[in-house]
Amino acid sequence: MTMKDKVIEVISQIADESGWKIIGDLNDATVLLESGLDSLGFAILVARLEEELQYDPFAMMDEPVYPRTLGEFVSIYERFAP
Amino acid sequence: MRPETLSEILNSFSGDHPALSLSSELISARRLLDEADDLYQRSFVSQSSRIALCALAPKALVSALVAFDGKVEAMLLLPASLDEATIDQLVIAAGCTHAMNADGVRALPNCHFVCGSSDHVSTQWLLATSGTTGTPKLIAHRLSTLTSSVKRDRARGRGFVWGLLYDPSRFAGLQVILQALFSGAQLVVSQPNKFEVQLDAFVRHRINALSATPSLWRKMLMDGRIKNCPLQQITLGGEIADQQILDALRRCFPAARVVHIYASTEAGIAFAVDDCQAGFSVAWLQGEDSPIPLRIRDDGHLLIRPSKLPGGSEIVRRLDADGYLDTEDLVRVEGDRVLFLGRASGAINVGGNKVMPEAVEQHIRCVGGVLDVRVFGKKSSIMGQLVAAEVVAGPEVDVVALRAEILSHCRSHLEKWQIPGLISFVDQLQENMAGKRVRLI
Repeated sequence: MTMKDKVIEVISQIADESGWKIIGDLNDATVLLESGLDSLGFAILVARLEEELQYDPFAMMDEPVYPRTLGEFVSIYERFAP
Repeated sequence: MRPETLSEILNSFSGDHPALSLSSELISARRLLDEADDLYQRSFVSQSSRIALCALAPKALVSALVAFDGKVEAMLLLPASLDEATIDQLVIAAGCTHAMNADGVRALPNCHFVCGSSDHVSTQWLLATSGTTGTPKLIAHRLSTLTSSVKRDRARGRGFVWGLLYDPSRFAGLQVILQALFSGAQLVVSQPNKFEVQLDAFVRHRINALSATPSLWRKMLMDGRIKNCPLQQITLGGEIADQQILDALRRCFPAARVVHIYASTEAGIAFAVDDCQAGFSVAWLQGEDSPIPLRIRDDGHLLIRPSKLPGGSEIVRRLDADGYLDTEDLVRVEGDRVLFLGRASGAINVGGNKVMPEAVEQHIRCVGGVLDVRVFGKKSSIMGQLVAAEVVAGPEVDVVALRAEILSHCRSHLEKWQIPGLISFVDQLQENMAGKRVRLI
C-alpha cells in the first residue's frame, strides 16, 4: 500500500465514523480544507496516522510547513518516513 | 477621576477617521457615533438598565458598545455559539432589563424604566467564560480592565489594519476591537462572521495585523490566502503556542512582529511574549524585566499578580494571601524557559474550545457494552490537543460495533470538538498514585 492509499484509507475511516461527507475523488490536487475534512478532521487524520505510522511529521519539522493539497500532505509523510 | 467611555474615545478622532471596514464599505468614526446615538435614543434605556447583547454581528456589536458604554449599568455580551437555554440562564443571572438582537432592543418583563440623568456611569461589561461545565461564569469587566494592555499610540496605530477573526463578543475578539478603536487603526469585520468570508475580506483589505489561536493560524497557513496579506503584527492566544507554529509564522512573515499573549477572560491580558520562543523566560520569575509578578506554586500552578483585575467571586476564590491569582495553568521550567503544560483541571483545549473530560466520560458510560472509560487530552501538532478516550469493553463485546455506537451517541449529545477523535480499547485503566485519572498526555 502506498502512502497515498494509506492516507486516503484513514480519511475515509474518519469520514465514516464522524458522519462527514468526503468529496468523491481524492487526488493530488485536492485542497485539503475543501475535501470535506475541516481543520478538526485534519487534526484527527494526523493523530490517527501517528498511531499507525509511529511518527508525526508536523511535530518533527525544523522548518514547519502546512500543506494545502493532498499531494503536498502525502509528500510530507514520505519525506519524514523513518 | 471619571472613567472614559468608548464614545469619548471615538469622539477624540476626526470625524472622517475610518474606523471600520465592512465588505467594500468604510465606516467613519462620525458615522459610527451617529448610528450609536440613534440606537441609544431608540432604546429607552437608563443608567439603571442592564442590557443583554445577544449574538450580534461585529458591526452591530461595535455600535451597541459605543451606544451603551457609560450610559447603562451593565452590558452582557453573549456570543453566537451559546444555546438558548444558556442564554436565558445568563440573562437572568445578570439581572438584565433589556435585550438586543439583530432585530433591535426590547424591554424584558422585569424592566422598570427609571428616568435617569444623562451623566456618565461606569458600565460593567459582563463576559461569559468559555465554560467547561454547565453554565459559563460571568466575569465583570469595565472598559478600564479590558483596555489595560491596549496600545494607544495613534501615530503608530494609524498604520495598522486589523482583521477580526474571533467572535466579537468574547474576550479575545473584544481585545482586537478595542485595540483598533483606541489606537486609531482600521478594523476589518465581516458579515457573516465565517472563516471563508473573513479570509477573502482580509486579502481584499490587505490587513497587516491579526490575532488568532495557534490552531487558526495553522488553518490559515494551510488555506494559503493569508500569505497575500502584508502582516506586520501577528498575535497568538487562547491556546499554548508551540515552537513549530511560531517558527512557521516567522518564516512566512519575516517582517512581522510575532507575539503570543497569555490572557484569560477571568484575569484579562497578563503578559505578552515577543521573542518567538515558546513559553516565557525563566528570569521573569525572579522579576528581571518581568511584565507582571509571576510565581510557580509547589504543585506547578502558575500564579500571576496583574495590576488590574475584574471583580466577582470567581476571582476572589482564586486569590492567595499575597494577592496572586491562581491561573490554574500547569507550567514546567525547562532550561531558561517556563513552558505551559495544560489546565490543572485536566480540561482539554481543542483549538481554543475547552472540554471537560468528566463530562465526555459520562456520555460514553451511557453506551451499552462500556464498562469504564478514561477521557484525556492528546497533544496535537495541529489543534493543540485532541480528545482521546480509552475504553474498557464488557466481555465478548464486538469493539468495532462498540466504537461506532460510542461515536454515534457522542454525535447526538456533544459538540464536534468534544467527541473523541481517538478511541482505543484497553483491558484496564491506569490511575496515578492518588487513584486519580491521568489526564495530561
